[in-house]
Amino acid sequence: MSEEVKLMKGNEAIARAAIRCGCDGYFGYPITPQSEVMETLMEDEPWKTTGMVVLQAESEVASINMVYGGASTGKHVMTSSSSPGISLMQEGISYIACAELPCVIVNVMRGGPGLGTIQPSQADYFQTVKGGGHGDYKLITLAPSTVQEMADYTVKAFDLAFKYRTPAMVLADGAIGQMMEKVVLPPQRPRWTEEEIRKNCPWAAIGKPASRKSNIITSLALASEVMEATNLKLQAKYREIEQNEVMYETHGCEDADYVIVAFGLCARICQKAMELAREKGIKVGVLRPITLFPFPTKEIKALADKCKAMLCVEMNAGQMVEDVRLAVNGKVNVESFGRLGGIIPAPDEVLTALEKLVAENA
Amino acid sequence: MKEEIIIAGFGGQGVLSMGKILAYSGLLQGQEVSWMPSYGPEQRGGTANVTVILSDERISSPILNQYDTAIVLNQPSLDKFESKVKPGGILIIDPHGLSRMPQRTDINIYSIDATEEATRTNNQKTLNMIILGGYLKLRPIVKIEYVMAGLKKSLPERHHHLLPLNEQAIKIGMDLIKKIN
Repeated sequence: MSEEVKLMKGNEAIARAAIRCGCDGYFGYPITPQSEVMETLMEDEPWKTTGMVVLQAESEVASINMVYGGASTGKHVMTSSSSPGISLMQEGISYIACAELPCVIVNVMRGGPGLGTIQPSQADYFQTVKGGGHGDYKLITLAPSTVQEMADYTVKAFDLAFKYRTPAMVLADGAIGQMMEKVVLPPQRPRWTEEEIRKNCPWAAIGKPASRKSNIITSLALASEVMEATNLKLQAKYREIEQNEVMYETHGCEDADYVIVAFGLCARICQKAMELAREKGIKVGVLRPITLFPFPTKEIKALADKCKAMLCVEMNAGQMVEDVRLAVNGKVNVESFGRLGGIIPAPDEVLTALEKLVAENA
Repeated sequence: MKEEIIIAGFGGQGVLSMGKILAYSGLLQGQEVSWMPSYGPEQRGGTANVTVILSDERISSPILNQYDTAIVLNQPSLDKFESKVKPGGILIIDPHGLSRMPQRTDINIYSIDATEEATRTNNQKTLNMIILGGYLKLRPIVKIEYVMAGLKKSLPERHHHLLPLNEQAIKIGMDLIKKIN
């Protein structure tokens, strides 16, 4: 039987997809513009159906540490928040990455810095892909651009997190969280049984049978040699992720003289700008990185060999543009355009920035 | 078919729900839909607006520069959106909330005394349905049966006895709307 098409907000889609993919526990603390994630979970009461735990913690710091605990036992656990709340979680995220535990963290970004604004933003790009917390770690980062993708990438984030035993982040913005579009939810998967957890997560701390040694979950190793070995293991894992998991999409790049690089909601605005530009005879394409780590470096480099210049459009002061420039490595000029503090750039503003790029790089 | 609409007014006038009902109706007709609200400080007393797109094809940007139709229910919204109606497009106003009338001559301007009618019949909450009725008279992009189904979905069950009243309001709106330029 085909699934019903429903109309819902991005935040609702995240909550419902989490229930559908067999999530065992959600721990969170409310903050606009993502409060509907927990509100939807509370409304749907999954503890009565799948047995999923939904808990409002006393703070974001508590939430992420509950996730740390749940993940240590091989459970599918997650949290969600918005920018200032995610900042509070960084210590915990670093611990989870070092302890090699799978979990999903959703950031529905709002404008910063500070408490900032509740309006949409993409200004946490650096925080997400360049560390955020301390130490050499990476977060697998998926950037949805539609409400459907909010559902799809929540599921995908769990799958990748368990595949690599590493935290994965869904990086959205307030607009995708708040807007409503059509969604087909994923099919209901059963939560893992204890036997399945024992089989799939031999590292999980869920009670030691006599046949094996204790499983110890920790991020502490005082001996530097041990810590270096841990780091090297993490780095090897990140290289493997870079090798296998890059996701991106392109629109009109085949014949493009100019390429716009944008993620999330911005990529859709840029597609509209692309349509407007093509009506004026400017051959423009859009590349949208779907995974921000791993970043589609090779794909951007390949486009730089064919185009005259690139424009990176973001709802921040120019963050991803640094990774685009690294990928292009000076081959073509890469300009940046963005709006700050919670303002969404309109398609005609992008077109104006594009026309300036064309004038300067024809 | 593609219709790009902005609905704007004060918080509490039912702007967001009007958009939601349109979006539900589009969904029931099998169209692509997008409902993008302002969710900021506007909700706490200032102006609220929602962009609704109904389309037979995939919707790229849910953020727009220009609209086929603008429905504005207060002065700040008129000031902000009058210039953003596409030439030849539709502007619907409720004169009750306005201190000046729209000026453009290259668009079709309609007026609907919805606030007055809702106040007269003592059914303030039907305001947005009266306006929706007026809009659907001009642009019958969704069938009334789908609007009613959409309304049923977005109203809590305890309010379902108000459905006939809302359907009546839509019909009143269809009669009330008049072209003024």
